[in-house]
Amino acid sequence: MTEASLQRKQRSLFFILTIVIGITAGLVYGWLINPVAYTDTGPHTLRQDYKTDYVLMVAELYHADQDIKAAVADLGFLGSESLVELVNQAVVFAGQVGYAPTDVELMLELVRSLKAVLPEQ
Amino acid sequence: MESQRSSWYLLTGLILGLVIGLVFTWVVSPVAYSDSTPVSLREDFKNHYRSMIAQVYAKNTNLLRAESRLMLLGDEDTVEALAAQAQRILAEGGAEDEARALAALAAALASQTIKPEATLSSPASSESAEPVIPTNTLPPFNTATAASVLEDKTPSPEP
Repeated sequence: MTEASLQRKQRSLFFILTIVIGITAGLVYGWLINPVAYTDTGPHTLRQDYKTDYVLMVAELYHADQDIKAAVADLGFLGSESLVELVNQAVVFAGQVGYAPTDVELMLELVRSLKAVLPEQ
Repeated sequence: MESQRSSWYLLTGLILGLVIGLVFTWVVSPVAYSDSTPVSLREDFKNHYRSMIAQVYAKNTNLLRAESRLMLLGDEDTVEALAAQAQRILAEGGAEDEARALAALAAALASQTIKPEATLSSPASSESAEPVIPTNTLPPFNTATAASVLEDKTPSPEP
């Protein structure tokens, strides 16, 4: 192997090495130092426990007003395709983490009413 | 001349790698927008959330629950935020009921004289002369995050 080809090989190795170092620096900067900021998020990104609490608020309002149209509009805030599924998930979560039975019952009341007006869901 | 060329190709590699890394972290696989908290919501969504809390409070008058929910929004001054939103709604000719609910909750929070340590720190305190602690659980408190926010004020959840 000539010295020139050995040098070329060495240069290629260093080139790849610097790319790897650059990628590592980019990953560290993009994920740790300056990640995509969590601001101005939409309600659909809320964690399940917050979604469940929101659904409970809607259920509490519905229980007081019996206004299913308002409930549907309020649930739309969470941007779910299926409102029945959304409330069902909230009920399941509430059961898992030990919500008060009265709260779970409020959400179940809302599910029943939603199923009555949104049968296709 | 030869050694200068060596330096440039190393710098090129470094910059190329950096660009690849940033494209990957910012475009291909950015930090995911999921499992967010109410505090990170956009301002108009926060207003809606705040309004919901006030309207629920208007129905069930559960101030403890309303207060804990409001804290999730991370307002520096909760009373001020409620009052300001109520005024904004009225100024813009919005729903009067909504504005009234917000104002009522602001007033209730401003006038409350509950001493959390005295009334909420132990189960026995619920038998005191202070208002009865609501028996319903406060859902967000079931999570570690929310629990850490209000751990001193959280009543024992029902089984």
